[in-house]
Amino acid sequence: MYLCLYSGGDEIDNIDIDKKVLSLVKKKDPSVTYIPSCSYASEHYFKDFVDHYKKIGITRFIHFAVDVPQPEFMIEEAFKSDIIHLSGGNTYYFLKYLRKGQYLKKLKAFVKRGGILTGLSAGSIIMTPTIDTAGFPDFDKDDNEENVTNFKAMGLVNFEFFPHYKNSKRYDDELLKHSKKISSPLYACTDGSGIIVEKKALTFYGKCFMFYQGKKVKLDTTSRLGL
Amino acid sequence: MAQTSKKKPHSKPSEKKYKNFLKLNGEHPLKDSCPDSYILYKTRKRTGGEVKFFNFDLAKEMGLIDSNHPYEMSKSLEKIIHDTFSFLIINEYDLENDIKFSAKELREGEYMATRYLQLQHPNKQGKTSGDGRSVWLGQIKKKSKTWDVSSAGVGATSLSPATHIYEKNFQSGDPSISYGCGYAEIDEGFETLFFSEVLKKNNYSTEQILAIIDFGNGISINVRAHENLIRPSHLFCWYKQRDHQALKAIVDYYIDSQISRGYWQDCPKNKKKYDYFLDRELEVFANLSADFEDDYIFCWLDWDGDNILMDGGIIDYGSIRQFGLFHHEYRFDDVDQYSTNIKEQKNKAKLIVNTFAGIRNFLKDENSKDLTKKDKKEISNKFDLLFNMRRQSNALKRIGFKQTQIEFLLKHCQKDITEYLKSFSYFERAKSSVGLVQVSDGITCDAIFCMRDILRVLPQVSLHRGEALKHAEFIEIIRSNYASDEDVALTPYKRKKINHFLKYYFKLVEEVAKEFNLTKENLLLEITMRSSVINRYDRVTGDSITHIVQKVLHADKKLSPEKISTLVRQFSESQNLSVDDKKKSSFRYHESSKMMKSFLKIVRNHRDGI
Repeated sequence: MYLCLYSGGDEIDNIDIDKKVLSLVKKKDPSVTYIPSCSYASEHYFKDFVDHYKKIGITRFIHFAVDVPQPEFMIEEAFKSDIIHLSGGNTYYFLKYLRKGQYLKKLKAFVKRGGILTGLSAGSIIMTPTIDTAGFPDFDKDDNEENVTNFKAMGLVNFEFFPHYKNSKRYDDELLKHSKKISSPLYACTDGSGIIVEKKALTFYGKCFMFYQGKKVKLDTTSRLGL
Repeated sequence: MAQTSKKKPHSKPSEKKYKNFLKLNGEHPLKDSCPDSYILYKTRKRTGGEVKFFNFDLAKEMGLIDSNHPYEMSKSLEKIIHDTFSFLIINEYDLENDIKFSAKELREGEYMATRYLQLQHPNKQGKTSGDGRSVWLGQIKKKSKTWDVSSAGVGATSLSPATHIYEKNFQSGDPSISYGCGYAEIDEGFETLFFSEVLKKNNYSTEQILAIIDFGNGISINVRAHENLIRPSHLFCWYKQRDHQALKAIVDYYIDSQISRGYWQDCPKNKKKYDYFLDRELEVFANLSADFEDDYIFCWLDWDGDNILMDGGIIDYGSIRQFGLFHHEYRFDDVDQYSTNIKEQKNKAKLIVNTFAGIRNFLKDENSKDLTKKDKKEISNKFDLLFNMRRQSNALKRIGFKQTQIEFLLKHCQKDITEYLKSFSYFERAKSSVGLVQVSDGITCDAIFCMRDILRVLPQVSLHRGEALKHAEFIEIIRSNYASDEDVALTPYKRKKINHFLKYYFKLVEEVAKEFNLTKENLLLEITMRSSVINRYDRVTGDSITHIVQKVLHADKKLSPEKISTLVRQFSESQNLSVDDKKKSSFRYHESSKMMKSFLKIVRNHRDGI
């Protein structure tokens, strides 16, 4: 299983992680499917995405929106890529349409057959067991305008993920509180940081922290843990 | 002896801050240059209005407010807006009936209702037609830019069609006559606002709404601004009347104003300036009709040159639409007649240019005769040449080529472009087997294929799989909501057309790749990026604007001018199809308000419509 969970930030902030992801692809000319969390005006972000990744050698892309009807052949095409990227945005909206289009199963199958699944912010949270972390803290949470009640996500990993983390007391209070409620670790990453899951090993890039049963631990850059 | 102080009296802070509003007092250079081109009206205050919208960005650009003015409707700003725009004209009915207004009600200044040709008037020479419910407020200059400002809904002038059809003057607001009572409608103001801001964002020349003042019961004053509000019909009325002096005055005024605005810098000074004038207008109208056709903009052009500005700017959004597909059979139902359809716009634009040619001849020689068949043929040929070149250029732009690549293809690959356009047009113009149907404001026969979708998806899929699309896939991509299974059945002819389209699409790609020393893959990647934005999934249509405006006007919670200003700004940004903009799009769906999100859903739901 190959996963990459980006926290956020500009393209340039994530370049080291991008290079690592590319190194996981065994093909010479890999292709990427870009799945926007929401398709409204997503063409602009797709353009920026392509503009960035072409600089590091990727030349084949598919823009695949999950909240508009897609012909069957486009679905097949999108899931044939070597890498699928789930963009950032509103986690509730994204989960709603991934579920509605029955794409969650397809993504799991994609990962199972060796495809590399990457996600940024909301896209990363979707890979974890639930999207609970999208719902707090109050000062920095996604609005659940879609009234999603089933927060169960893909469950590809056995930890929760908190993107755009800022190393401050007000964030820590919330994350420590949440970590007491769950049995799995909660990894919080600042923008420009992320986690790569390679088979059963986790590698942390940048400023990453673990919140576990009411405690906070700073993880060393490029430290490795088991899944 | 006591010295007189040279100090100016202290002005109130608000007066100083908004002093440029005072320039909108009815004075305009047209008054001196073209004394035959208007009727003057005195005005009186109109109370009971509420500023519903104010275009802060445009006002900043015009220098009406400071560039750092907050997006807030302060009491003093509201007051100056009312002082400047909330008025009614004292019209012929008022004078005939000796209606008295108190000294407190009367305002200073005299405002022009300008004369121009209008085909809906009984007199087809423009002797009685023009601004039927608008007056010109003045001209604003900031740096090298100039704006003409006019106000619609300020009362019935004697130039309205109703006055001459019924042969009597009407009281402003007379409920017995709707079109002709001199009032404007608020939904019309808002439709113009939303539509014009989107088109402006996408580099169309257009009037813009500066302010909307709501007087209740759907009535408003809609203030608009544009660089130059002269329409072809302002000239045509004098040409039809063979009034050399008045015609020369307004043509010279227009030429001079173009020069003073920084355009037409190489315009000759002698009579040759009229040749130059004709050449420029021919370019304007050939290019705009090509752009309208390619962007599916329905604009009711006709021989009177009324619904358009001299510089090709869009004015009078009442019948303006943008289609999602090429609904080329749509005709607007204007009570007693149907409008032209989008394909016929080109010929109407040619008629307008023919009249410009007649004007040129008449100004050069007062005894000149009407245009001969040969003259018309010559104009038609020049027009077609420019029109076709612009259409070709637009087609290449829509594929996603850059300007230098487009120039190369236009110069060296004419045959390939022509062949490509043949099959492109075949699909673009394909119609529903249902045939002609009635729609809310006219008739149409639905187009069935969305060519934006194929231009967006084709380069991605081709690059991704290393081979072209299959026939069934091609049809599946372009199929719109209007297409039935019968419409999309893969006939041998359709297969042939798909092959033809793909052949010439990739031929153009190969020609550019070869010339610019690019790999085909790298070029397709560039095209992927550009075409995805140019041919985005959602694009605003006329229907979507109508629904959005209804949402704004009937919002549960009344929207403040500041809130509407933000919504308009965000909405136009969300519809920005500019691909060469270095600035990243600032629009974020999930950071938008619920109202904004609902707008985007409306646009999506009507994306194939009219």
